[in-house]
Amino acid sequence: MKKIVHYSTIVLGGVSLISFIIDYFIFAELRPKMINFEAISQNQENLILVVGAGLLIFLAFCLLSLLRVVQYLKKAKKITPVYSLLLVLGVLCLLFVFSDVALLNDINKQYKFGLEQPEWLLVYPIMAFQFLTAIIFIVFHLFGFKKENQFEDVAKDSNIFLVAQYIGIVCGLLGLASASLGFFFPRAWNLHMHTTIGSIVLLIPYILIVGYWLSIKLKEKTRGWYDEKQIQDIGKSSFMTLVASAVFMISLFAANYNNLNGVVSALWLSLYLFFVLTLFSFGNLYFSRKD
Amino acid sequence: MEKNNQQLANNLRKYRFEHNEITQQDLANKVGVTRLTIHSIEKSKFSPSVFLALKIANIFKAKVEDIFYLIKK
Repeated sequence: MKKIVHYSTIVLGGVSLISFIIDYFIFAELRPKMINFEAISQNQENLILVVGAGLLIFLAFCLLSLLRVVQYLKKAKKITPVYSLLLVLGVLCLLFVFSDVALLNDINKQYKFGLEQPEWLLVYPIMAFQFLTAIIFIVFHLFGFKKENQFEDVAKDSNIFLVAQYIGIVCGLLGLASASLGFFFPRAWNLHMHTTIGSIVLLIPYILIVGYWLSIKLKEKTRGWYDEKQIQDIGKSSFMTLVASAVFMISLFAANYNNLNGVVSALWLSLYLFFVLTLFSFGNLYFSRKD
Repeated sequence: MEKNNQQLANNLRKYRFEHNEITQQDLANKVGVTRLTIHSIEKSKFSPSVFLALKIANIFKAKVEDIFYLIKK
């Protein structure tokens, strides 16, 4: 079964690379026409379905690749910077699939309403990043996951706990950046909808890794979800998060005191959630590594 | 009030090596904690509970006070 998943992942990676190349040619055909508001035939419009199918395949590749990295790290002797970077790249690629869909959707709408489409400037670099990351993942699938860097048995998990903190920091920082954009472009957005959807999407990787961590905990034969050192670390980071989040929310309240019904009314929950997630994850990672 | 200037130290590393060079991970598996916890105990950065100290001593068939002892900071 493991081998089937392994080879399927590599095949999905190869198909993803081909689909990104096809996307490039599709965009080369569509972009000039859309920018100049020329008519697009039904057949040309249908090409976007090819792009969508390619993105779905890439999404599956990202999920399987991340699962492989996480499974490898579960028994790894050490979480090296290379694997931490691989995790971050994987999470970013996964999230960028949703931004690809959103950008292409916006481009299509703006073309139909005769508006400019500055989103094209983002589509190309994001897809180039995804293309390069897919190559890196394929190389790792072929040569990167070596058994000699793993323990035979791990009765009580510590690595997936640390991986969850890494992903928490990435999702938290992206969520803070995404929510903060609302302060800079308050009129360009349907703030409530964008903030809600953006927050849910940005939490997906964290929810997935916490779900995986829970599944490990349910299988463990040892007592308790955490060991005594992890409880101490979580206690310290929880206290730090409690104090810092209170200061953060009071500052947010004070800074927006004269306009509490304005932009901040749509953003405060996302800002709070992602601030807490970032700080709590950072705290857990810091105290686990420090002692 | 007297200032607490004592710290818990240990011979855990020595005991591991005297018992077939058992790894931190193997010891962690036997006492049901994470490898990082054993690492932190060995470095005297984390003081184990009495329960864990007894379990560790039991693995090495030693007394707790042979493995863990107090030193001045």
